[in-house]
Amino acid sequence: MRSSALVAAVAAGFVSVFVALAPGAAPADDRHPAPKDAYAYIGWPNDGEVVTGRFKVWLGLRNFGVAPSGVDKPNTGHHHLLIDVGVPPLDEPIPNDRNHVHLGAGQTETYLELPPGRHTLQLLMGDADHVPHDPPVTSKKITITVR
Amino acid sequence: MIVRVAAFLLACAIPGTALAQDAGHGTHDMTAPDGQTAPGDERPKRMAAPKDARAYIIWPSNGTVINGGKFWVRMGLQNYGVAPAGVRREGTGHHHLIIDSELPPLDEPIPNDRNHLHFGGGQTEARVELPPGQHTLQMLLGDADHVPHDPPVTSSKITITVR
Repeated sequence: MRSSALVAAVAAGFVSVFVALAPGAAPADDRHPAPKDAYAYIGWPNDGEVVTGRFKVWLGLRNFGVAPSGVDKPNTGHHHLLIDVGVPPLDEPIPNDRNHVHLGAGQTETYLELPPGRHTLQLLMGDADHVPHDPPVTSKKITITVR
Repeated sequence: MIVRVAAFLLACAIPGTALAQDAGHGTHDMTAPDGQTAPGDERPKRMAAPKDARAYIIWPSNGTVINGGKFWVRMGLQNYGVAPAGVRREGTGHHHLIIDSELPPLDEPIPNDRNHLHFGGGQTEARVELPPGQHTLQMLLGDADHVPHDPPVTSSKITITVR
């Protein structure tokens, strides 16, 4: 009787330890590594550019490869274009909304149409599950003006 | 004793479950891109590409004179996507840079040699070093098995000079 109560207590203890560890540990372990020299850059427009109407954005990438979302291959990811927003939390999937444009089909360029005014653009690569790499593969944030 | 055994079993069983889930997750990821198999076909079937898909060399531009001979080629792609070699997914392929050569036969894998550089890692830039003189560069997309699409997704051929 006493020993079965102990088993139950130990079992409960183990279960609670694992339950407590699992959710916290998972996202950090899941981030795919990226080489330190990998970086993204916006090939066009340039920082400070003035554009009119619909414009093309070149998604540049050095020392890294492009793969569509859902494809899990080392040293690859897909582009996300951050518009008028900072870099999101790096240990969870990049949001999918008008400020975070996903290029999940492996695109290396896209077109944007933004309202007149100043806007910021920045690239951030995501892995198969849209989670940024470790370290994150990102570009400088540029500012453009739409007329 | 019973307590120790139970604790040991628990310690084994719970991470075991976690591993099984991880494996399942990984399998799921891998099945998506490689969903298609070639049933009974000896020759890989050419993957269809939309007519408006186009590759182009962003840099250098046609006629560029490059001092030194080492340079980055930036590879552009319109209305199409990049996927690493081995990944079969609709609407994607990977870049090949053809140097000083004509387009290879379109119904077989693109050769892999110094005149046909493969970017099977999904790269969109190429570091190239060429001897002094005139050279031609052209891009050609290949599918999961390095076979060009139908119609082929290719760039115009440019000529550059290395000094």
